[in-house]
Amino acid sequence: MKPPTAGCALCGATWGDDWEEVDGSRLFFCCEVCAKQYRGIVGEAKRRKGWAAVDKVEMQGDFRGRVCTVRYGPETNKFLISFFEDGELRTFAELG
Amino acid sequence: MALCPVCESKSPSFEALGVHFAEETKKSDVGHVMWLNRNVTKDKEAEPELPRLLEGFFDIDGIGLSRWIKTRFIERFFGKRPHPFVLALQHPTKPVLLGYVLEHQHFLKQWVRSLSWVLAKTDSPEATREELDNITTEFYGHGSDQPSHYELLLRMGESFGLKREDILATPPLPATARAIETWQSIGRTRHWVETMAAMHSLELIANRDVKRDGATLTYFDPRILEGGAVTNETRAFLWEGYEADVEHSEVPLEMVERFAGQLGIIEDVQFTFLRSMEAFDSYLMARLERGMQFDGGLAAFIGGGA
Repeated sequence: MKPPTAGCALCGATWGDDWEEVDGSRLFFCCEVCAKQYRGIVGEAKRRKGWAAVDKVEMQGDFRGRVCTVRYGPETNKFLISFFEDGELRTFAELG
Repeated sequence: MALCPVCESKSPSFEALGVHFAEETKKSDVGHVMWLNRNVTKDKEAEPELPRLLEGFFDIDGIGLSRWIKTRFIERFFGKRPHPFVLALQHPTKPVLLGYVLEHQHFLKQWVRSLSWVLAKTDSPEATREELDNITTEFYGHGSDQPSHYELLLRMGESFGLKREDILATPPLPATARAIETWQSIGRTRHWVETMAAMHSLELIANRDVKRDGATLTYFDPRILEGGAVTNETRAFLWEGYEADVEHSEVPLEMVERFAGQLGIIEDVQFTFLRSMEAFDSYLMARLERGMQFDGGLAAFIGGGA
């Protein structure tokens, strides 16, 4: 999986020092809740589409909700997702 | 003295509070990292500037506590990135207003409980009068000519075809329930002046004067109150808040400023206000999420941030 260019893989912050492996990629996160949310995004995309893996995650938004475009091979899954402050899934909505 | 807005630890100065934040972020502590990200900066390069940035965030010199609360609130809900529910309410559709009705009934019940905590704890006749008047307006009403805000909310729901018994039987979404727990906890555990600040600051949301203080927009476009853009019941509900919430927010916040200064609890009030504002942000999202159950297209209001 292609990692983001800089900062926390979820929110872009550069605070913290939490490195975790997600789908075979070692990624930087500012905190464990961002890591949990990122794993949630990848996990939901794979589970709902039946994918074996994810190639790329693109995100737009903030803590209130993120529009994610997740790619695997030629396939794309676009959805809105949000989480509670403890990283539990709050909202998931498929987008056209 | 500087109070940590996350763990409430006391530091002798903002210099020391900056060191405290730096240490916590090195440990990737969720609360401290999240607070900095949302309120100050996401950029670790700013670490040497943290004392100055934190002091600037909490500084009330020259403006006072009441205006500080207003500034922070406007920044969060009406600033460069307005809250998605505020954007949706500018020209509200039926699903947006249904989301409002189904979640806000629970907020208004908690409102009475929270203000009752103030009544139970205060020995100030002034605060008692303020809260009794507010509870009457919000929940009990002043006779048939002036129904309560709660009654107007239910009528708005009925104007969209919902049955009153169905509205009342709808439980809150988990996010609303979590926010309510926060406000109940504040009332139970904090000083009554902090509870006043926590609750009455939230009435700034419908304060029509926020543009005067730097807001980019108001709670809703006031032009929707003219003509037939919304139902008469919606107009009555929104108009009541539009009329009442200038006084309902500003008078008690001036009181909070005075009492907090006299009691020497300004930092505690700031701490509790920030906690309440976070809960309110999440609760407003719950209204939109409820609306999405009627129209998935409302998702377009979320996810536009950076």
